[in-house]
Amino acid sequence: MEESSQTHCWTGQTQRGKENSSMNLRIDSGRFLAALAALVFVATACGSTGNGGPTSKGTLTVAGFNFPESSILAEIYGQALAHDGYTITYKLLLGNREVVAPALESGQIDLYPGYAATDLEYYNKGAGEANGDAAATTAKLNSHLQALGLTALTPSAAVDQNAFAVTTDTQKKYNLTKLSDLAPIGGQLTLGAGPECPTRPFCQPGLQKTYGINFKAFKPLDTDGPLTRAAFKNGSIDVGLVFSSDGDLNSLSLVVLQDDKHLENADNVVPILRQAAASTEVATVLNAIDAKLTTADLITLNSQVSSQHQDADAVAKAWLQQHNYSS
Amino acid sequence: MQSSAFLDYVDPWVNWTWLESHVPLFVDALQQHLTLTAIAVAGGLALSLPLGIAAHRWRALRNPLLGFFGVVYTIPSLALFALLVPYTGLSIVTAEIGLIGYTVLILVRNLLIGLESVPPDVLDAADGMGYRPLARLAFVELPLALPAMFAGVRIATVTTIGLVTITALIGLGGLGQLINKGLIENFHTPLVVATALSIALALVADLTLVGLQRVAVPWSRDAPR
Repeated sequence: MEESSQTHCWTGQTQRGKENSSMNLRIDSGRFLAALAALVFVATACGSTGNGGPTSKGTLTVAGFNFPESSILAEIYGQALAHDGYTITYKLLLGNREVVAPALESGQIDLYPGYAATDLEYYNKGAGEANGDAAATTAKLNSHLQALGLTALTPSAAVDQNAFAVTTDTQKKYNLTKLSDLAPIGGQLTLGAGPECPTRPFCQPGLQKTYGINFKAFKPLDTDGPLTRAAFKNGSIDVGLVFSSDGDLNSLSLVVLQDDKHLENADNVVPILRQAAASTEVATVLNAIDAKLTTADLITLNSQVSSQHQDADAVAKAWLQQHNYSS
Repeated sequence: MQSSAFLDYVDPWVNWTWLESHVPLFVDALQQHLTLTAIAVAGGLALSLPLGIAAHRWRALRNPLLGFFGVVYTIPSLALFALLVPYTGLSIVTAEIGLIGYTVLILVRNLLIGLESVPPDVLDAADGMGYRPLARLAFVELPLALPAMFAGVRIATVTTIGLVTITALIGLGGLGQLINKGLIENFHTPLVVATALSIALALVADLTLVGLQRVAVPWSRDAPR
């Protein structure tokens, strides 16, 4: 049967082969297979916990992306729902939307903290429909989510989007609060951002067109990275591109100028749910959270997790307690 | 000195105070890492044994089989998980489909090498002693293939221990979850400790397998690797 195939290998080792075979005939080979099976089945059982109390209103799975702010928001939503009587399972630090969105559509998870503009551009496959109006962007997002059995609730005032910051010294010197304030003094200021800024509509051309700001100079750096921070510190830039909810803004003495003419796409925090999980009660709980959450809160919470290495569930709990969700 | 703020605070490699208060995090991660690895290697072995024996018995199967799992081996895990999530969810099943898929190539290849290395005169002797084909496979060929199979299991185990970390993408990942946490929070402690634990786990697993091999295949102590 198989003799024809046994014509190579181990040539010159026939003596050894004979020894092996004679020894082997005396040993119960079944024992080897049993040992092998035992070896690979030493797996420890992975138990899942489900402590749904008798009063639970149902189980909801809350997911988060793999960055601290997403974990914090997922914990805030989850703990608020738990406070209302739901049993919550968390799936945090997941990959990007390519993993999370299918999981939501298939019911593996029930909700995740989304961002209006980014989620719209994901679900519409980058059609460029997002704009600076959070309500309009969310309405468009919902038109795409409808067919998928998903829904987005009311967007929060809290945003994590591109923003332009100045140091507190610059702010005081020129008395700045919003981007419009830069128009008359732009000629004295240097802008720092990623090298793509001079060609991107949300960056230098947008500042010029929407706000009429013409800077003295532009320095190619990064977006809210070490180069921008160093440039702020040594005074080589006056205005820099950052993320509006960056936890380091306070410790770096940076202030975000309000985007009063809505140049940037509205990446307001907005929970995205399966329609099946979006009962009136769930929506009420989450909308109440989003009504209270601010960008300043996000900066503080992000700082507590990213810089002080506190746990996301602990900072979420502290925020909820501050807002009268005692548990 | 013109130092920037982000350099003012130096994150130590290991923040022992934080570590002390987060030990359960590491214990859970280690346990999940072990579970994912053990299931992947066990499942890979359960799949590779019949496949390897079939490919050995029917030579025509050999190249298509190795070719197929060679292709599976090249699928980027990110793409594989994204494709599987709608069907198998953010579950251990999704993770294991990927992990087992990656181990099968290593295990089948080594099983084939082991079976092919059985000397023809041993087979002749077994035939002469009246072994039926199935008994010859079970009592002569497979035991002689054990050293090569052990080599395969060792490679598969160590590879899987490294590979498990990528399942952090779907919320599992064992120690990968903590490595991920360290990376995204720019926090050395979980990154360093989880990496060290992962390396230690791979070493311990490999040494355990060497020990098991010495017990199970005592004649192969000086066998070429």
